[in-house]
Amino acid sequence: MDVVEVEGLGKTYPGGTEALKDVSFRVAKGEVFCLLGRNGAGKTTLLRVLATQLMPTAGRATVFGQEVVRGAKAIRQRIAVLPQEARPQMMLSAFDHVRLLCLIRGMSRADAARRTEQVLRQFDLWEHKDKLCADLSGGLRQRVLLCMALIADPELLFLDEPTIGLDPLGRRQVWAAVRRLAEKGVTVLLTTHYMDEAEKLANRLAIIEKGRLTFLGTVDDAKAKAGVGMRLIVEAPGGNGNSREVLHPSSNEEILRVVERAIREGLKVTFQPPSLEEAFIHIVGGSIDDEAA
Amino acid sequence: MTRLREAWYIGLWDSLPLLRDPMILILLSLISFLPVFFLFIFLGAEQALPALVGAVVLSLAFVGMGVAQSVYFNKHWFRFQDVLVASPVSPLSYAFGLALSTLIAASPALALSFVILLLSKPVGLLAFLAVIAVSLLMWLAMVFIGYVIGLTTKNTRRANSIPQVLSFLLGFLPPVYYPLSMLPGFLQPVAMLVPSTHAAQLAKYYFGMIPLSSAEILIGWAYMVGFVALMAALTLRKARWVDP
Repeated sequence: MDVVEVEGLGKTYPGGTEALKDVSFRVAKGEVFCLLGRNGAGKTTLLRVLATQLMPTAGRATVFGQEVVRGAKAIRQRIAVLPQEARPQMMLSAFDHVRLLCLIRGMSRADAARRTEQVLRQFDLWEHKDKLCADLSGGLRQRVLLCMALIADPELLFLDEPTIGLDPLGRRQVWAAVRRLAEKGVTVLLTTHYMDEAEKLANRLAIIEKGRLTFLGTVDDAKAKAGVGMRLIVEAPGGNGNSREVLHPSSNEEILRVVERAIREGLKVTFQPPSLEEAFIHIVGGSIDDEAA
Repeated sequence: MTRLREAWYIGLWDSLPLLRDPMILILLSLISFLPVFFLFIFLGAEQALPALVGAVVLSLAFVGMGVAQSVYFNKHWFRFQDVLVASPVSPLSYAFGLALSTLIAASPALALSFVILLLSKPVGLLAFLAVIAVSLLMWLAMVFIGYVIGLTTKNTRRANSIPQVLSFLLGFLPPVYYPLSMLPGFLQPVAMLVPSTHAAQLAKYYFGMIPLSSAEILIGWAYMVGFVALMAALTLRKARWVDP
């Protein structure tokens, strides 16, 4: 059964801004589903509607078979969220944050202490547990917020820009945690601006542009749709890049010809696989051009 | 019981940062007592004592209004409300928890003020309980006003400034620190529109500092209860757990 089902969903804010238009998709159990889009495209609006934080104005959205407005109470028992631009309380420690949320969510004191230690250790925060958040770096603060989202063992986790402000190691820790959750059958719906993050994590992704779903599929589907293929970069060894030649071979024979020429002429050949970023730019590029026109 | 537990821990979440900042606690303790200090210096202990009663009532009113900042910051700054919306936590627990946090944060100041007051002017248990009840009604009214401000403000500066201006209008201007009779005749009915005037009049009466007729006592209580009910209705109208 699909965990999330969205059918013709629309959201117009009271001020008249139309943030979502006729959005439809499904997310299966255990899937890591990424929402991509430019700033203001509607990703957070969509995530907030599904997390029962925002009322939709058109269409239908269900989570665990429950409609997000009428069934919100039942949905909330099984989800957790890391909101975008959330901040920790500066005068509370990492331990305070996680333990208090455990207690608010109904755990006993002993369970709360145990669970707090478990998640803080998982994110290498245990050694910082008693420091006030005011004394933690931005990356460590973001990890505290992530720990808060993970305490309740949710079946569906909403992460809105979860790795913003994290260093490369911190980002990899989050990715590892997301993968572990997915292996346990947890469904993860996340928004991100980092294409490498989506590429590493997403089973499927949706690209939203101006409130409309412009793409739905796997990372490979996105690259195929955008027509972004393998690139070969041919250059002189030790060259400064001025004599660089970027080729887009369309067949294996063409790749072979390029490599043979490079060997003959003593040139260096680098294979560059297509990136999601290029695909993303191709897919939303139409609308960028429209705006420019 | 579960809901009370939720509210208690939400209250702790919101108040612990304040309790860990001694300067805020000192500020909360001092702000309503500042006029009492000056009245004591310039007019002597006799004039300062009624002002001390007013200060006790206002201590609770000021902290109640502080809920505006809790509501605003937990919604727009920490996004803690969003975390709780997407959880089994009840909106009533959240609202009660934030209100409770103002009492937790103010508890040292309140304990100190009641001790000073009782040492200065001992009263019977019933009178003391009546003053507590008046103060709590005043607190509740201010909590509801604070909610309306916090719920309708989307600007950090306003979330800070509006409660301060209202504290001034409801606390320092009306006859709370000074006798109602000191106001010019035409201003006295205007002052009676302000709930803190009724709260201070009732508290001073129960401490045996001013006489009030039965009708005035009844009107005072009725006005306070009515004001709280009105503010509660306004809050319920504005309150949103799920954003529209």
